[in-house]
Order: sequence, then C-alpha cells, then structure tokens
Amino acid sequence: MPETLASAGASRIWGGTLAALALALGALPFVANDYAVATGLGLLMWLALTQSWCVLSKMTGYVSLGHVVFYGLGAYLVVVTWQQWPLWLAVLAAGALAAVFAALVGLPVLRVRGPYFVILTFGVAELVRYSILAAEAASGTASRILFGAPDLVFIYFAMYALAAAATLLLAQVAGSRFGHGLRSLRENEEAAETLGVPVVRYKLIAFVLSAAIPGMVGAVMALRSTYFVVGQVFDPMISVTMIAMALLGGGDGTRGPILGTLFLFTISELLWANAPLAYMLILGAILAGFVLLAPDGIVGIAAKLRARRSAPTKAPE
Amino acid sequence: MTVVDTLLSGQLLFAALVTGSTYALVALGLNLVYGTLRVLNVAHGDVVMLGAYAGYWAFTGLGVSPLVAAPLIAALGAIAGLLLYRGVLRRMLGSGAASSVRLEGNSLLLFFGLSIILQNAAALALTPNNRGYSYLDTVVHLGGVAMTGHRHAALVIAGATCIAAALFLSRSLAGLTMRAVIEGREAAYIVGVDVERVQAMSFAIGFASAALAGVLLSMLEQFSPFSGFPYTIAAFIVIILGGLGNVAAGLGAALLLGAIETYGVALTSANLRSVLLYGVFVGALLLFPRGLFARRAARA
Repeated sequence: MPETLASAGASRIWGGTLAALALALGALPFVANDYAVATGLGLLMWLALTQSWCVLSKMTGYVSLGHVVFYGLGAYLVVVTWQQWPLWLAVLAAGALAAVFAALVGLPVLRVRGPYFVILTFGVAELVRYSILAAEAASGTASRILFGAPDLVFIYFAMYALAAAATLLLAQVAGSRFGHGLRSLRENEEAAETLGVPVVRYKLIAFVLSAAIPGMVGAVMALRSTYFVVGQVFDPMISVTMIAMALLGGGDGTRGPILGTLFLFTISELLWANAPLAYMLILGAILAGFVLLAPDGIVGIAAKLRARRSAPTKAPE
Repeated sequence: MTVVDTLLSGQLLFAALVTGSTYALVALGLNLVYGTLRVLNVAHGDVVMLGAYAGYWAFTGLGVSPLVAAPLIAALGAIAGLLLYRGVLRRMLGSGAASSVRLEGNSLLLFFGLSIILQNAAALALTPNNRGYSYLDTVVHLGGVAMTGHRHAALVIAGATCIAAALFLSRSLAGLTMRAVIEGREAAYIVGVDVERVQAMSFAIGFASAALAGVLLSMLEQFSPFSGFPYTIAAFIVIILGGLGNVAAGLGAALLLGAIETYGVALTSANLRSVLLYGVFVGALLLFPRGLFARRAARA
C-alpha cells in the first residue's frame, strides 16, 4: 500500500503510543506493587513470544502451531542446570538450545507446506513434550522445587529486554531485504525461487531467529515458578495463544502483535482466574472468527476503515 | 512372559485389531472430507468425542443400548456435518482463494478454533471429568483368548462399516463420483459432477462415521471432553499412509498403526503411548512432506 498522508499521520500517532507504552512498562516496577509487576511481566512475556512467532509465521506464511517447544526447551534447560550454571549463562544457553533445535528440525520440517506444516509443528512439539515427560517419569522426577530464584523486578527487566529485542527483531526483519524475500516466498514460493530468492536458506534463518527468543523467554519464566512441572511449560495452549494474539492484531509489522497482545492479554487477565473455560471458548472463537471474517486482524480492519474514509466519493461495495 | 510370548499372544493381536479398526473408522470420515474439500478438519476427533457422549447419555440416561442408539447418533452426526458445510464451509470455499496454500493453513486454524470451542464447551456443560460405563462386558473365550463382548462388537461394527464404505466407493455410482472429486475436483466438475453435492455428502458421511466411532469407543474406554484430539492425529497418520480416498489401504494402515501402538506399549510402557503416536505421525509426515499430492502425482 502506498504511504498516504493519512497513514503517515497514523504512524506518527502510533510511534507516540509505542513510546508511551515502552515508558510506562519500564517505570512500572518503581511505582506499582508486586501484583501489578507480575501482571506486567505476563504482558511482556506474551509480547516477546508473539513478536518472535511473527518473524517466522507472519513473514513467511508458515504457521507454526508448535512454538511452545522452544519455550519449553528453554525452561527445561534452566531447571535441569539449576544452581550448577550461573543464571545468565543458563538463559543464554536456553536461547542457543532453542535456535539449535530449530536449525536441526528446520530443514526437514520446512519442506512441508500449508496445513501439513501447521499440524506437523504441533506434532513435533507434542512429541518433544511426551518424550521429556516419559524420560522424567522413567527417572522419577516429574516435578521440581526451585530454591533461590532471583527477585521479581530482576525477572521483569530481563523480560522487558526480551520483549524489546523481539520487537526490534521483527521491525528489523520486516523492513530488510531479507524480509522482502520472506514476503515474496509467502506469496509464491516457486516464483520467489525463480527470481533468485534462496527460499530454503531464508526459511531456515527465519525459523531459527523466531526460536531463539522464545527459548530465553521460557528460561526467564522458569525462574518465576518455584514449583516446576514439565507438562506445563510445553502446554500447547501457549502456542495457540501466540497465534491468536498475532491473528487478532494482523499485518506483518510490529503493530499488529502489540495490539493483539494488549487486547487478548486484557481479556485473559479478566477471565482466566475466574472462568478459564469461558476464556478458552473466547480464544477458540477468536481463532475461528478472525480466520473466517477478518484474516487481516485489527490492523487490516483499521486500514480498510481508513481507506473508506479517505475515499468518501466512492460508493460502498 | 518373554518378549516372544508377548508378541505371539492372541490377546495382543485382538487388542491391536480392535484399536486398528476403530482408527480406520475415524480415519474414513476424515479421509472423505479432506479428499473432497482439501480442508483438514482437526475438529474431527472432537466429533468422535461428542459421539461418545451421545452414546453415554443414551445408555445411562435413557437406558438404550449403545448398539441400538448408534445408527441414530450417526444420523445426528450427518445432520451436524451438513449444517456445518452449508453454514460455514461453502461460504469460506466460495471466497475464491481456497486453492492457495496459505488459506489452507488458515482453514486449519479455523478448525483448530472450532476444536477448542467444542472441547471447552463440552467441559463447561458436561464437566471435565472422565466418564465411562460398562455394557456387554461378558468375557468370551476363543482359543485361549479372552475377549469382552463390547470389544467384539466394536471390531465387527467398525470393520463392517469400513468394508461397506470401501464397496460403496468402488462399486456404486455415487461412490465413484466421490472418488472422482477426490482425484481431481476441477476435472470432475468439467465432466458434469455436482461437486458441491458430493462435498456436502462427504461431510455428512464424515461426521456420521466419526459419531459412530465415538459411540463404539464409549463402550471400550473412559473418555473426557479432551480425548478427541489423539484420534484426529491417528486418523491423519492413516490417511498419509493409506492414501486419499483409498479406504481399503486405509484399513490396512489403521491396523498397522493399531499394531505399532499396542505392541509398542506392551514391549515398553504405557507412558510411551503418546510418544509412539506422535513419533509415527511426525515420521510419516516427514517421509511424505507434501502429503498425498506428491504420491498422487507420481501415480498419475
């Protein structure tokens, strides 16, 4: 879409909103109580996860329904190396582990397309989850208690850094030559390859990039849980929530995921504690409804409204 | 008991046959829906789950034998399938972009959303607890193998339904028409096949067979609102291995999967059941990365 005056104005407003949000989240631990900080931590976590998911799935159209596997692996690594490795090393290693895992499974998995890819990523995540569960059951360690975790504000700022890094990463990718290559293979992979886009390498790089931060997010979130259960950090609903947030927001920039995350996170905060099943119903309805009625999400709806307002002479279709 | 004894026991063979035939029945419906519409209904297993609840209510609430209620529940499933097709699917496919791979990926999310809705609505309305009942659990001995009556019934009904479906697809005109649509939708349309009617019919048959499978499974084991999804995965494995629209090969693939699962668990531990299922699933998809399109092209 060509940059019009109206959209330039809108993007200035957006830039201001974004800066205000970043500032507010940064100041939160200094002014608010623990409950509010924990809530902010949740918001930052989903931001980091959703932005990372978009690097692969929004840019390339390869919809991953298994991103929780990176989160889970990262969390698991921190727990396994608990009090043996320094924390900063464990968190970085978690990111590296997720990236290496993505690089290893990426080549065969990314050959699979469309709905097959979606269901395959789900299968891979479930396979890893059940394998680790079986290994834990065999060794008799189904759950662990973590002593000596760092305090909430430290965790909060670690997550703040990850959310910022994920947002910058997506912005960087979306605006780069690499990002245009990804978009071209999303629209038509054969055509992109014919034009010289190294599709296999690009897809793999996007996959690895979108895996590293979720690995570190899982590692940092593991520090929050004093009682660690393997099944929870591989919960498929974590993948589903990332998709729902990104789908709600729409677009392939950083704007959609931020809007979608804010929106769905608010709903989940209101409903999760009191009515978890109702929340899950809403989550399912968001997935089905947006795919069916508004596949471009909030950003798409806004763009359509703007286009209609800026062309008032044209009769509505 | 040694490993060899385990492998040779008729008990295990019977268990594998029962599991395999129910997988075949679940896969039959998914195969027809996916074959004719090219949308992957990941909520298929949840229809199985709803069928199980229907069988449960018929037996515990109304005192009706699940075997008597089964045809009725299957009919209800068919009606639900038709309504879903007319209400949602036709509209989505009619938007013209249905051929693009991206929309297919999105349609999976649509059904995944539907699956989440069905599971949690069921949990909300029917409690998330496990349910089960005992019906026809008299033990029949046949050559040293102890078989309960309901397993027998499930094996016979599931097997017979699959064979009937295979005959329908290979002998009747309606069945051949359906296979034509599976092989090539556009080509079938050109030679005068009413593609939309065939798609509606396969949706109805697909949901009916899933509901029937649910009733049978409700006799065999405990179930909850969340027990449907593994059946979707199992059915998908069967379709990948057996082939689109090929019910006979699907029956073979389902028996193989039932054997892998039953013998695998018997040789290792029950903890590995899900590992085996998802392992076979990931392996099958990686071996046939384009699903059946590639194999169909190779055969043509």
